[in-house]
Amino acid sequence: MTAMTRTWGRLTLAGKVIFTVLPILAVLTVGLIVVIVLFGGGILDFLATNLWLVRFVVAATAVLLMSVPTAFLIIYMEMKVIALMNLRIGPDRVGPFGSLLSVVHGLKVLMKEDFSPTGVDRIVFTLAPIVVFMSTVMALLVIPFAPGLFGQDFNIGLLYFFAIGGMTVVGLLMAGWSSFNKYSLLGGLRSAAQVISYEIPLTLSVVGLLLLAGTMSLNQISLNQAGWFSDWYVFKQPLGALIFFIAATAEANRTPFDLTEADSEIVAGFATEYSGMRFGFFFFAEYVNVFVISALIVTLFFGGWNAPFPWPWPVALNLDPGSLGIGLLILVAIVPVIGTLILAAPFWLASSRVKGWQALVMGFILFNLVVVTAIFGIAYVGLDWVAGLLWFLGKTYVFVFTFVWMRGTLPRVRIDQLMGFAWKWLLPASLLNLFVTAAAIAIVNPR
Amino acid sequence: MTFIPGLGIVKGMGLTLRRFFEPKATIKYPEVKPDIPHKFRGRLQLLYDEYGALKCETCFQCAQACPIECIDMGGIDTKGRFHVHWGAPETYGERREESALRRSGRTVPDPAYAHFEGIDPDPVDGILEDYDFDPKQMLQILEATQAAYGHLPVAALKRISHATGAWYAMIYGTASYYSHLRFERPEDGIQAAAVADHRPTEATFLSSLDTALAGGRRAGAGQATGPKPN
Repeated sequence: MTAMTRTWGRLTLAGKVIFTVLPILAVLTVGLIVVIVLFGGGILDFLATNLWLVRFVVAATAVLLMSVPTAFLIIYMEMKVIALMNLRIGPDRVGPFGSLLSVVHGLKVLMKEDFSPTGVDRIVFTLAPIVVFMSTVMALLVIPFAPGLFGQDFNIGLLYFFAIGGMTVVGLLMAGWSSFNKYSLLGGLRSAAQVISYEIPLTLSVVGLLLLAGTMSLNQISLNQAGWFSDWYVFKQPLGALIFFIAATAEANRTPFDLTEADSEIVAGFATEYSGMRFGFFFFAEYVNVFVISALIVTLFFGGWNAPFPWPWPVALNLDPGSLGIGLLILVAIVPVIGTLILAAPFWLASSRVKGWQALVMGFILFNLVVVTAIFGIAYVGLDWVAGLLWFLGKTYVFVFTFVWMRGTLPRVRIDQLMGFAWKWLLPASLLNLFVTAAAIAIVNPR
Repeated sequence: MTFIPGLGIVKGMGLTLRRFFEPKATIKYPEVKPDIPHKFRGRLQLLYDEYGALKCETCFQCAQACPIECIDMGGIDTKGRFHVHWGAPETYGERREESALRRSGRTVPDPAYAHFEGIDPDPVDGILEDYDFDPKQMLQILEATQAAYGHLPVAALKRISHATGAWYAMIYGTASYYSHLRFERPEDGIQAAAVADHRPTEATFLSSLDTALAGGRRAGAGQATGPKPN
């Protein structure tokens, strides 16, 4: 036994991984630098001629990166909001107001054993959570977050959304089938039945909207709703919006239709045999799905990124800080000090009991508030994508809150009630909505 | 009331939204203590030993200590002979009288202090001040007290104990050790001697008893035969 093998044997698992990965990373970095130095110009030319490639990579990366914090935020909201509704306090230990607890949950899921039971179909068993997660995340690509801020402006955006969203069923069936467990299989089939049943009213309820909008591009649908909030499609398609909301609740497996994988039940449906991060992917997909569905409701029926009223004072800000030259540096150095002192002065003068440092602290806090407000205000007025993003995220989180609120309130339905509601009520109602809309268009706009 | 579909859902959602803004019921225990009344002593409970027998020995200490007289108990004494009880004055005779006094607002006599008579505390207070409340000069204090009162009243001893900080048992031990200190009035001893003079047979018996015991009898017996010099 040589010294090398002895040393290797003494390394912990993490040490072995780092020892293997570090040289590979070093070689890759050096190779990348060499490639850039040698062929840098050529690569840039290639990318400039094929901008769609850059856009695709950036959009996919951004959407993937965005999905995880979104899921963390919604999981935290779920814990905290339901706790407050139950007159409890909820998470309050990790981070400010317990806001990092969902991150800790994510780390916990990462550290758990990733166990595959005997007899499972390894490949399908591993692929199923990825399919579910990816079908949810890919739906984010077509959602217009703000003017000019979307992954891809398909002219069949809505169709793409439903097609990709439908892939969730495949993932659920894969999970149930490959688990080598009849309960998982039953759970998978049951959730597939639910999701497919609710796809039909979900899709039919927006057909009336499509007749009105005349396009399937989500970006164009958002643009159609610009102006006052009375232009939103929810006022032209109230029944469609209601059906869409209910069907979307079932589609996202949320209470009261969450019997596919109910947290409070002992057997976890199709996810019975899953553990560790493979279960974590199902879990994440569920919460990203809540965000996606809320975003789609906002885009289709609640005006997307449009403010509910047109901004009454159109301003064109012509700020050019660079023209100040060295004065800019001096300004940056002096303004915080002067601002803090000026804002501290009222506290200092107000009462002789206020100590100097207390007045200074208050002044500093006030100055920061003023600066942050000013930056947001300037960005809101000057950059339409910031305003759009703020409105879009605000509206979306109102609907996320509504989903959580419903989970805190409503009891779970039975499977027969679930299916009966879809086929006996929602489907006729959506057909009625479609026919009434079509008739109205035919009367108003006869060809 | 006609049936409106979805009304129940709306009501429920309104309820949870109201709960959302209400103050919370959780108490973060180790950091925040619940607001408990000053005299709260927790839950009253009798404990059992590992054989399933009650550990309570019916000593009534808990009932005696209870500031609001809420403890009501009865049982058999440790020898298993008598029924004993303690509890609400309406049901048990022991406390009926004092409870009535307490409810009427009058002073409740404490039976533990009812056995000794009151004294004029001024002489003993002066003596204690003269000796600077020093428990190391206890013998001198006791002698001066006996000089002032003619004997050592229990009330005076209690006052000395309270003022000097010495235990009552230690003071009592000191007072009973020295034969020239006495707890009874000297008049009692004079009367006893006068009685003895009228009973010569008894005096003879006592003197023969003295010789038989060879050491003489102790102070108590001596007092019975005659007054000691003060």
